[in-house]
Amino acid sequence: MSVPNSKPDLDESINVAEAHGRIIREAAATAREKRIADNGREPVSIGLIVVIGITGVIAGGILGHGGDWFNYKTLFKPGYVRAEAPGGEDSGPKPKPAIEVLSARGAKLYSAKCAGCHGPDAKGDGSNYPALAGSKRVLGNTDALAMVILNGLQGPTSSGKTYGAGLMPPQGAGMGAEDLAGLLTYIRNGFGNTSGDVVTVDMAKAALDISGKRAKAGQPSTDAEVMAEHDKALPGEPLDPQIMMDPVTLQLAPAP
Amino acid sequence: MSSTAQSIQDAKLRADIDRSLRHPVMFFMTSGAAWLAVSIILGLISSAKVHSPEFLSGCGWLTYGRVFPAHIAALVYGWGFQAAFGVMIWLMARLSRQECKSAGVILAAGHVWNFAVSIGLLGILGGAGTGVPWMEFPTFVWPVLLVTYFVIVVWSFIQFRVRPSGYVYISQWYIMAAMIWFPWVFITANLLVFTFKGGHPVMAAGIAAWFKSGLIYLFFTPVALAASYYLAPKVTGRPIYSYSLAKLGFWSLAIIAPWAGMQKLTGAPIPFFLPYLGAAATALLFIPALAVGVNILRTTLANPEAVEQSPSLRFSVAGIIGLLVFGFAGLFLNLPGSSLKLTQFSLSGYGFEILALYAFFSFIMFGAIYFIVPRITRREWLSRRLINMHFFFSVYGIIAVSVVALFGGLMQGIGQEEWIQPWINAATRTYPYAIFITIAWAFILFSNVFFFLHLTLMWLRLGRRSSHPTLLVSHHGGSSPHGAEGDIDNAGPGSADAHAH
Repeated sequence: MSVPNSKPDLDESINVAEAHGRIIREAAATAREKRIADNGREPVSIGLIVVIGITGVIAGGILGHGGDWFNYKTLFKPGYVRAEAPGGEDSGPKPKPAIEVLSARGAKLYSAKCAGCHGPDAKGDGSNYPALAGSKRVLGNTDALAMVILNGLQGPTSSGKTYGAGLMPPQGAGMGAEDLAGLLTYIRNGFGNTSGDVVTVDMAKAALDISGKRAKAGQPSTDAEVMAEHDKALPGEPLDPQIMMDPVTLQLAPAP
Repeated sequence: MSSTAQSIQDAKLRADIDRSLRHPVMFFMTSGAAWLAVSIILGLISSAKVHSPEFLSGCGWLTYGRVFPAHIAALVYGWGFQAAFGVMIWLMARLSRQECKSAGVILAAGHVWNFAVSIGLLGILGGAGTGVPWMEFPTFVWPVLLVTYFVIVVWSFIQFRVRPSGYVYISQWYIMAAMIWFPWVFITANLLVFTFKGGHPVMAAGIAAWFKSGLIYLFFTPVALAASYYLAPKVTGRPIYSYSLAKLGFWSLAIIAPWAGMQKLTGAPIPFFLPYLGAAATALLFIPALAVGVNILRTTLANPEAVEQSPSLRFSVAGIIGLLVFGFAGLFLNLPGSSLKLTQFSLSGYGFEILALYAFFSFIMFGAIYFIVPRITRREWLSRRLINMHFFFSVYGIIAVSVVALFGGLMQGIGQEEWIQPWINAATRTYPYAIFITIAWAFILFSNVFFFLHLTLMWLRLGRRSSHPTLLVSHHGGSSPHGAEGDIDNAGPGSADAHAH
């Protein structure tokens, strides 16, 4: 009893009843608090282990979808591009007959490059610009027509008449084979012209080739030159105008 | 006699700890509640804009692209962090049995935090937001928040270091973990996204997604679990059901959570395994959720009366149920064959976040606030009806927001997957859900405005002076659950005042 620590210092500094009362009055919530006991020792139940196992299996399945993780070839799966929807109805624009596809392409080019002079209806104006509708040159041999388009024309036209403008400027700059094929097909089958055939991309390629190898490269062609050297059809296999063609790639559509 | 004296000493120590933390804790909780109300108002506006785009369309600073990030930022940095700070510093002081000797510093840091959040929020509304989800504040704000954070929590580290006994409570594990994990996640994400921009921008999006899940799983979750592991035994007076389960829950969270998050970038050109790793980790987080959920529910539900009567326990149990739903949603929303692609660009992600931040985290914070505030203010809650109202409006509101957003998001996702159809079909599917969410936010706003008022009155020490706790018991006849009518200023059972009647 004489060891100070063994005897709480009750009598001297703390009056238990008073201290208790003060705590209850001032900190009632603290005084009525319950102790945090030691944790329970219950084992993890079997049911819980089963559910955890199932969760693990599901998560494993998700990981399994990742495939061969660290193989570089599979790291970027081709699956980033969506697979085609069932039915294939949505795999781009539908194929159309070649003559429609090429004419549609040519129509755009015509309105940009040709309609300014020859007119949206291709009738010309009779004095400065010749008509394309019904023109012998347009409906004649494709090689000659292609040379005029690519290199322009100086002097009289195929009808022998000299128009006021006197010179058709060359249109070949920046024109690709697909554009040229479209434009040729369009003017030979539009505005009342009815050649009934198409100029294929291969033929247009040949035209660009021929144009590049002209003797007077860089100068506008004349009717005399065209009649002398180019009065023939462009080389290349003719194409059935009604064969189905992809409007974007201009490739022949696979048979359905 | 000596044990009585010891328990008095003990009660006095606890009362002193509470008193030492009164101002910082009340400041965090009250300003947090105010930010919560602000966030809900912003959430209401942004949700209204989903179904009625012309609503407030004249206001440039209230466009959806600004209001929605402001809503989330106010919820995360205004409410979430401040509630967490209040609970963390109080719990750590109590469990380490140390008075807080730096309340003034913490209070000052708390003001800086609030100021930074205000500036950041104005920045977002003014159009200076960064556009990175959950990191929307202008970039000069994050270092300020980080430094402030250290000033606020460093005292809790010290208290933990000098605690008298070697025993570490489960709540202390979680608080220590949260205190360490947050700066790791925050510094890593902010540096990689904003400072070192050498990486690929798509990877920055992945880091932002990881940051979001890191904040949820590595900060808000452990703080909320610390509070629930404290409240459950403290209020029921029963020990935690199973120590093994508690360890399982803690270590599975610690091991799994850092891997989660990148599944939000499924299909993006980032290394292919990352999204699957994230999805699997998020699914696996059902394990800690289940371990903790079962542990706490086993502890509390054996004492159903306490759950029914105690506001703090009722809120915590609701939050734990929120955790279980959240864990299950993580499992269910990340199946690559079916649900993952539906949730990626739809309302579901939002539902998932609200489930985490409100249905789980906020409910447990409310529970903790209802427990802590009477102790530090030495007043009891004024009105059981206000608490009841807060509880039920919040519960109904949050079930509506999260479940409707999750489910509506799946519907929206299904609409988006029908990619042959015009996209407007997918948007139209969302319409009824969006209206429902707006109404539900209005419910939650209503309940939280009163919660904020209630809390402010408590800070002003206008609570009841009584030794009877405010319990959620409906009373029949004349007897109040808080004691006899007019017993407002009693001194508790056994005192002269109480016997004078």
